[in-house]
Amino acid sequence: MGRLHLAPQALVCKNAIIEGDVQIGNGTVVHVGASIIAKNGPIIIGSNNIISERAVIINHNSTPLMVGDYNLLETESQIEGRGIGHKNVIQVRGKVVGQSTLGNNCVVGAMCATDPDENVPDNTVLFGNPQARRIRADNNNEHLAIHMKHLEYIHEMLPRYNHIIEAE
Amino acid sequence: MSSPGVLYYCPCSGCMGADAQPEEAHAGHALSDDGRQTDETHAEIAPPLDASRRPLTTLRTWPLEKLYYCDDCSQVRCPHCVIDEPAGYHCPNCLFDVPTASVRSEKNCCARNCFQCPVCTHVLAVVETESIQHSGGRTCFALACSVCLWDSREIAWEFEKPTGISAQIERARASQPAAREYASLLDHWRAVQRAASGATLPPAPAFKSRVQPAAGAAGLPSYIATCYTEPDREHMAALLAAKDATAVSSVDNMRRREPQRIRLHMKLARRCRTCHHILIKPESKAQATRFKIQLMAANFLPTITLPPMLPRTRAAAAAAPELLNATPLRVGVTAPVVLRFANPLYTEMDVDVAVGRTDAALTDILAPQFTLPPFAEIWEYDEDEEDGGSPDSGPSTRRGIVHQHGNRIAIRLDVTPQAPADSLTLPLRITCTHMDDLADIDAPDLNASRRVVTNVVWAYVSLGTVN
Repeated sequence: MGRLHLAPQALVCKNAIIEGDVQIGNGTVVHVGASIIAKNGPIIIGSNNIISERAVIINHNSTPLMVGDYNLLETESQIEGRGIGHKNVIQVRGKVVGQSTLGNNCVVGAMCATDPDENVPDNTVLFGNPQARRIRADNNNEHLAIHMKHLEYIHEMLPRYNHIIEAE
Repeated sequence: MSSPGVLYYCPCSGCMGADAQPEEAHAGHALSDDGRQTDETHAEIAPPLDASRRPLTTLRTWPLEKLYYCDDCSQVRCPHCVIDEPAGYHCPNCLFDVPTASVRSEKNCCARNCFQCPVCTHVLAVVETESIQHSGGRTCFALACSVCLWDSREIAWEFEKPTGISAQIERARASQPAAREYASLLDHWRAVQRAASGATLPPAPAFKSRVQPAAGAAGLPSYIATCYTEPDREHMAALLAAKDATAVSSVDNMRRREPQRIRLHMKLARRCRTCHHILIKPESKAQATRFKIQLMAANFLPTITLPPMLPRTRAAAAAAPELLNATPLRVGVTAPVVLRFANPLYTEMDVDVAVGRTDAALTDILAPQFTLPPFAEIWEYDEDEEDGGSPDSGPSTRRGIVHQHGNRIAIRLDVTPQAPADSLTLPLRITCTHMDDLADIDAPDLNASRRVVTNVVWAYVSLGTVN
């Protein structure tokens, strides 16, 4: 049974399910009911991510699963590939499946999924039903400010209503 | 109609034009304002539609909730014999009610900021972003899609103000050479038409046969292009040499990448085809879901259902529930079928049930005539009036009436199927008579002048499989 290593500013709720060798970076928020399961290998999560309720990050491989910085994993999203980059958004019930990786600035739309084994390039948007994809043309600047405001708000409000794991 | 249910027949010709069915002539759907028809025996009534001819049945019979009732003609109307007309136009995105005059001028599209994403057809939002055309980080307004993250900056659409986007686009388009050329062409042809309408020329063929306007007859000089002045030989050569349409990057391709304005939606009102009386009229405000006028058949005709169970008195409730209409049908075996009639009116309704001639089954209606009490609220009914069918509860029990509560009466039919069938369908002729609410004000005696309204409607009751 591995251990959980929390950076000083990370905010992890006690009701989150964390198993195995997990490292969580500065400023990252893990909401109630999220699961981070390092089954066969470690999971390394970067800084300032928002991992929402019932999101699942599960590592079946023995190699580490790396999650970058400034990502937003919305409710019931799922990551089980080999890792994702920075500033991605995985919307409600979006999935990164199989052995896939996600680049930077990507958006996996609601109920959309990557192919089972692909390296999704940067700036890709998966959307729609039937699922389509396109490359976004903007440089995702405005999103960062909103993300930091969101993070600030959660850091302020979440400890008032939930039990938090104290970092060592 | 393979599952048990009741469908009502509409005797209109609707979309089928003149009918060729000979049975129509004998159908008992005549209307009489002065009383019931009492001169037909049960066995001889021909139903208007042969229930075994399935495709026709589905076209001409409807569940009661789909039918309307014209109270001027006193007749049932189905969706085939009504006229639709627009009762208001609105934008489905901003819910703005567009006045009818503007609909035509705006080409049936929303005139405000409602656009569709060219990639995913989602609604575009007006956002304030960094300008790409002007360097230095100036902010501008653009249309952006939240689903596929498409941005109108990709087609160089940037706006100064967040409102009136359509107007800004029209102004930008009007300054392009194609639009200017078109406008001057239009002016020229209008002048030619005005001149030609004074003369005695046949207008259309003359214009088609000549490339240039009838300069001799109209006396106007031929047209000179104002914007496309140099012949673009290279462009023409490229167009002629192109193998297929995809090789040509024409203006049309660019248009496809532009956001389209959102089309307006209509609210429809429905009128009776014969007397143009309004049957359905919705409120013209976009947000309102109610109807100003709503003449539904269910408010005038009794609702006929095949109940699986009936409510029982307190005394009978202790026993096991009795399931009705559940006996499997077999050839030659008489099975009881319970039909429940509900009266929607506030006056009493006399109902006469007759079975049409059919080879599929022999039907014995135990209670061919009965009176349905008027509709009233639940709390106005006394519990003592419930009749669970016990034989000694007084004169309200009649042979064939299984249950009676409030405005509903359940009657029993004994059906003996004659042949195996996928779906046994019984045609029933229902004659309902009631006194009209509205008295004739001008008549001397108010009570005697009340009109007696009779409706005759055919209902097709399908009972399921016969083994």
